[in-house]
Amino acid sequence: MMIAPPPAYAELQVTSNFSFLRGVSHAEELVTQAKILGHRAIAITDHNSLAGVVRAHVEAKEVGIKLLVGVRLDLQDAPSMLCFPRDRRAYGRLCRLLTMGMLRGEKGDCFLWLDDVFGPENGGGENQVFIVVAPEDATPQELVDTFAPALNGIRNKAVEDALVFLAGHRVYRGDDERRLATLSDLATAHGVPLVATNDIHAHEPGRKPLQDVLWCIREHCAVAQAGFRLGVNAERHLKAPTEMARLFAEYPDAIARTMEVADLVTFSLDELRYEYPEDVVPPGETPQSELQRLTWLGAKDRYPDGVPDKVRGLVEHELELISALQYASYFLTVYDIVRFARDRDILCQGRGSAANSAVCYCLGITAVDPDRIELLFERFVSAERDEPPDIDVDFEHERREEVIQYIYDKYGRDRAGMTATVISYRTRSAVREVSKALGLSQDVAGALVGMVWRSLKDEHTDAYIREAGLDPADPRLRQVLDMSRELRGFPRHLSQHVGGFVLTRGPLSEVVPISNAAMEDRTVIEWDKDDLDALGILKVDVLGLGMLTCIRKGFDLISDHYGQSFDLAKVPAEDPGVYDMLCKGDSLGVFQVESRAQMTMLPRLKPRTFYDLVIEVAIVRPGPIQGDMVHPYLRRRNGEEEAVYPSKELEEVLGKTLGVPLFQEQAMRIAIVGAGFTPSEADGLRRSMATFKRTGKIHTFRDKFINGMAARGYDRKFAERCFKQIEGFGEYGFPESHAASFSLLVYVSAWMKCYFPAVFACALLNSQPMGFYAPAQIVRDAQDHGVKVWPADINHSDWDCTLEPLHDQAAVALRLGLRQIKGMREDAANALMRERDGSYRDPYDLWRRAALRPGQLEVLAQADAFASVGLARREALWAVRALGDSPLPLFAASNHVAPANAEVSEFYEPTVSLPHASLGEEVIADYLSLRMSLKQHPLALLRPHLGQTNPAMQLNETATGSMINLVGLVTCRQRPGTASGVIFITLEDETGVANIIVWPKVFEHYRKVVLSARLLGVRGEVQREGLVIHVIAKRMVDLTPRLAAIAQPDNAPPPRAVGVSSFRSRDFH
Amino acid sequence: MLGMALADARALVPDIDATAADPAGDAKTLAGLAAWCGQYTPWTSPEGADGPVGAGVWLDVTGCAHLFGGEQGLLEDLVGRVESLGFDARAGIADTPGAAWGITRFGKGRIQIIAPRSTRDALGDLPVAALRLPTMITDGLDGLGLRRVGDLYDLPRGPLAARFGTRVADRLDAALNPGSEPVSPLVPVPERREQMAFAEPIGLLEDIERGLEALLVDLCMRMDRESVGARRVDFTLYRVDGGIARARIGTSRPTRDAHHLARLFAEQITDLDLGLGIEVMAVSVPSLEPLVPEQMALADRTQPGQRNNQSSPDPASVAPLVDRLINRLGSHSVVRLTQRQSHIPEHAAAEIPAADDPVKSDTSTTTLPIARVPGRGSRPLRLFPRPQSIQAVAPVPDGPPALFRWRRVLHRIARAEGPERIAPEWWRTSLPWDAPWEAATRDYYRVEDEEGRRFWVYRKGLYSGPDGDGHEPTWFIHGQFA
Repeated sequence: MMIAPPPAYAELQVTSNFSFLRGVSHAEELVTQAKILGHRAIAITDHNSLAGVVRAHVEAKEVGIKLLVGVRLDLQDAPSMLCFPRDRRAYGRLCRLLTMGMLRGEKGDCFLWLDDVFGPENGGGENQVFIVVAPEDATPQELVDTFAPALNGIRNKAVEDALVFLAGHRVYRGDDERRLATLSDLATAHGVPLVATNDIHAHEPGRKPLQDVLWCIREHCAVAQAGFRLGVNAERHLKAPTEMARLFAEYPDAIARTMEVADLVTFSLDELRYEYPEDVVPPGETPQSELQRLTWLGAKDRYPDGVPDKVRGLVEHELELISALQYASYFLTVYDIVRFARDRDILCQGRGSAANSAVCYCLGITAVDPDRIELLFERFVSAERDEPPDIDVDFEHERREEVIQYIYDKYGRDRAGMTATVISYRTRSAVREVSKALGLSQDVAGALVGMVWRSLKDEHTDAYIREAGLDPADPRLRQVLDMSRELRGFPRHLSQHVGGFVLTRGPLSEVVPISNAAMEDRTVIEWDKDDLDALGILKVDVLGLGMLTCIRKGFDLISDHYGQSFDLAKVPAEDPGVYDMLCKGDSLGVFQVESRAQMTMLPRLKPRTFYDLVIEVAIVRPGPIQGDMVHPYLRRRNGEEEAVYPSKELEEVLGKTLGVPLFQEQAMRIAIVGAGFTPSEADGLRRSMATFKRTGKIHTFRDKFINGMAARGYDRKFAERCFKQIEGFGEYGFPESHAASFSLLVYVSAWMKCYFPAVFACALLNSQPMGFYAPAQIVRDAQDHGVKVWPADINHSDWDCTLEPLHDQAAVALRLGLRQIKGMREDAANALMRERDGSYRDPYDLWRRAALRPGQLEVLAQADAFASVGLARREALWAVRALGDSPLPLFAASNHVAPANAEVSEFYEPTVSLPHASLGEEVIADYLSLRMSLKQHPLALLRPHLGQTNPAMQLNETATGSMINLVGLVTCRQRPGTASGVIFITLEDETGVANIIVWPKVFEHYRKVVLSARLLGVRGEVQREGLVIHVIAKRMVDLTPRLAAIAQPDNAPPPRAVGVSSFRSRDFH
Repeated sequence: MLGMALADARALVPDIDATAADPAGDAKTLAGLAAWCGQYTPWTSPEGADGPVGAGVWLDVTGCAHLFGGEQGLLEDLVGRVESLGFDARAGIADTPGAAWGITRFGKGRIQIIAPRSTRDALGDLPVAALRLPTMITDGLDGLGLRRVGDLYDLPRGPLAARFGTRVADRLDAALNPGSEPVSPLVPVPERREQMAFAEPIGLLEDIERGLEALLVDLCMRMDRESVGARRVDFTLYRVDGGIARARIGTSRPTRDAHHLARLFAEQITDLDLGLGIEVMAVSVPSLEPLVPEQMALADRTQPGQRNNQSSPDPASVAPLVDRLINRLGSHSVVRLTQRQSHIPEHAAAEIPAADDPVKSDTSTTTLPIARVPGRGSRPLRLFPRPQSIQAVAPVPDGPPALFRWRRVLHRIARAEGPERIAPEWWRTSLPWDAPWEAATRDYYRVEDEEGRRFWVYRKGLYSGPDGDGHEPTWFIHGQFA
């Protein structure tokens, strides 16, 4: 029997979900489905947008189908048209056209007219294919009456050689035959050949409910009320070519023409690769020669005693590779940005795959000495993987804007732009929107949304629903959850990436459309960094990092007070004292290793070298934890288990980490070496991990990976663990190259904490908000390390915290800055500092000279900042309360014309004796204003009233397994996503800090206490892990009301509000 | 906790019972309570809640207490009865309103009485908030350690005023010195009301009807002047024995036609229990809507001989009939048809209560011109309430039937157009969520048989091909064209 070959067909009218709230399938799904159905090619034509084409492009290359990059131009004065650029230049013009339309409106708008499309800006439409789309709602008669003239208008406007077609698709309204016949007649009459399409909105018909829901989200209504706004049927999905041929049986030419169009369009996004700017190359030099010159120049700087042979070899090798791959311009561009920052004394540090190269060290992009660490350059920039290099640069967060402005100045806004971030539906937002669209009442929707905050796992859904007081069998709820799962990962809108810069050689608007961002005067491109990555377009992440600000401030303070100058590279390397400190878990405030999980890990991992820190940074991450890699590594490291390697090849990959994969690069290498992935497959795996919620492809990778490893003789269990780890990386990938850069900051901040504790605390306080800990804990920690801390005072404090020399010693004391005072304004503090001129005599003097508003004077009085003029808090408050609203005009003061009422209240008022404040009241007032007290710890005051309790200090002498009763202020509550529901609480009392662990069962029982107590009593079991002591909570009690007792004076009611709210913890980082 | 976000509260107590704040409702309840307190003294006045301090009612009980066995007795009676109404109640009596306010809210017991001339001692230990001071001031005093009212007694007034204004001193004086602060009584809510009193109790139905009509005429003239119309009218009869009888009518459109209103009442007043007779009767309008002035009809519409020969359904002329039907049968028994936005033909119309304002109902029932629904094919003149099963022969997968049998008659199709494909409304809970929903999709065809009769038929279920899920499409007829 002869089987006729399926007709050749390409779908040309395809709306993906990047036409927000219209399309109902991911670009990847559409492309894959087209391939499966046997389409010869597929187009992506989102509405006035190219946001989804890169994903489609990547997917199309992977599954092997031709992609037509296109757009659906929705015009203000004419029917919509699909537009396909045939070559790079036509594509550039299309981008420019879209940019023009987008910049005319608000974020998300695009206003275009027919004259724009065929106007000079778009080269008259030269070399572009247009397919006019007939309005779907029009009856055949209306097509003749109104659409035909419009079609004629388009035909007349289009330049002679512009290719114009007419799309026809079935609408299933009952009159399709008449409709198609009419369109066919119009096509003949106006010389615009008919092309068959199916106006695709979904890759398969099952998405119709979700499509209705999306429509409702867009229209802000519920499905039951949406009425005729919803589509009448589900036909707008991809259909097999044979089916398309059947539906267009009377118009075989229209089917054949789809291939004609597909063949006309030869443009591929691959043509956009590597259009690096070359501004950074001086005349007469090539990028490569310039890079070599600068690199060797830098090397001389870095190694004044001569470049070590090892480094010289590395540099030569890397330069060779860079030359072969033509990456020189990229390195020069990054170098230029870093050089600018260095000139301005802005501390910065590069990271990313290429950042930890010897070349980058010589160029000053990174301060990680290649002599100190073994990182193979090929692993990051590899010829075979054909991947662009990746360098992110962190800058001091307070000065990042200067760098951004420099980049704009240097490249101009037409060549530098901010990367987009695709904001996608997360579980919560999906549930919320779907609930609304399905008409659930607000409280049911609220309960559902509230339910998913604990990272909903499917198998637990029913229990959670029941717990939320809802019925899991309710079909409406199941609809909501099913559709929320589908909606999760759908792009919702484009936002601006925090620091992603894209730089191009030619105008940026000819590479990618640019639109207005929500922020005033900001524009943003339509692609995110994965898209740019996939296309190899140069991007540099200019990020802000609080710790760099802190370190720079620390270096400045060291130079001011100790006369020694340091920078990132000059800090003494491999100092045993620093490692001793870290091994004790004494890392409050130290970059990256200050979290509870890290503090626990430090004494177990016992870092002694720089590379140990690299591992330390990478190991407490979702990847290794989910892959169950942590314990095997620790056992091997502590010699409890032998380091065995699954195979010879993998020994090379895993040698540095004792056979346990910890880094993202290693997981990728395992896929290649162990499971037989090609490098580009491994890359596809990594990408699909990052986006695994978007597409369901993970399973095919999973099978391939595990079977691949099993086939090569590896243990299936090991393979599964490796894969689990890769899944973990998807959520929060942590490559070795990033860990190495971060580790330098770990080391430097730890070094500063170790040898200059006052400096470190001061710099940390002045860089707030950042990190895990509140100022009170930073101050407490500094005091524990022997630093004298002095209170904020009008005559001694600046806005920032400062260091003051101690009379008799070489040490310095930390003086709290006015910034620590709640409600203090920076401009008021500056006025105070400017006019101080030695010192202020009294509140009146301060008011007169610094012209502070009464509110700010009161804030200072509340903070007890008048001690140096001999006024206690209440006296100061009484005094400032009398000062008038308007400060004195300056001339009045100079003429000694005293303002009547101020002078009167200051000098002639009867003295008033206010109730004396007890120590407890002072402490509470300190907490109210400063969230800490230097006078006494509240627990010391409470202790006599607490009965049988143990101070935290006693933990050190308590045997493992025994029970202990602790009471303390809750300073921190954490529920790490990696710890499966375990909650960490940090309690602080007058003797120290205790780490409490609350298991989920206990939490459920004491939920309210755990979440709301500020003063917490815990009865629990002591557990030791090396030097770290935990208390496993068994019973808990909320003692918050007891705080009121502290402030109890002899016979008066306690202060209002008791300041309970000021004992705030930092919760759930 | 006051000021906590609901989301935070939910995190703490997942099954928290949340109710939206209803200040208007609270105020109404409080006003009602103040009126209820009128049995203790004519002088009562509500005071709304302010932050954490509870709401209250002022009572001026000067000279009233002896009726209840003294002040203690009065408070016990009052608190007991208010609590039996379901409120948490505290009460206090003092020489001054200020002191009473403070001791009630900040004193130690449910019932507090400050003996005459001992206010100063009684207030001394209360927190300064007992002086009805705004939080800003009490916070300020708190910072200075001035927490008790007594702390303020000896402070020099000048410096205190320089720092906190005269407010503190004023409040202190008001609390300590009787006579400075009056209590304003509850003012009745103004309403459109007409009242008529009789020298002798009346009891005859005709008299009541005559009186009602007179009241309604007055009421309607007044509403006419004010350009309003009534949506509800209450008729209250105060009986000799202290009881009341009440009748209430509602109208579908605002009206001020006294005759029409009287007819509506006529249905009800025969059932009223008049007891021993009526002393006072009143009509009042609790619900008003604007109604523009209109030309009075020259002749009463209901007079014989006058015919409304326009067949167009003038809503004004239908409305009185609708009103009468509604008042007799109940509002849900009188319905009218409205169009509903649904692609499913039999769902495209709905019955709504005739009294409902068509504009106010939800968007799905808004009327869209039937001729022009975007993306919809034409509909037959006669649509069967339920589709009827037929046997049909048609080409697969989506061809129109070549012939079909309906009610034992065979129809051969000469002409056909279609399909119009209509997907099911999947969100209706009656539809199984997991069902292959292609099975419920309909393909409608307009067909004409060889005798020229035209039908609207559909196939339920799409052909899923040989490897489909096994459901077989079935055929129905759903309507006839003219």
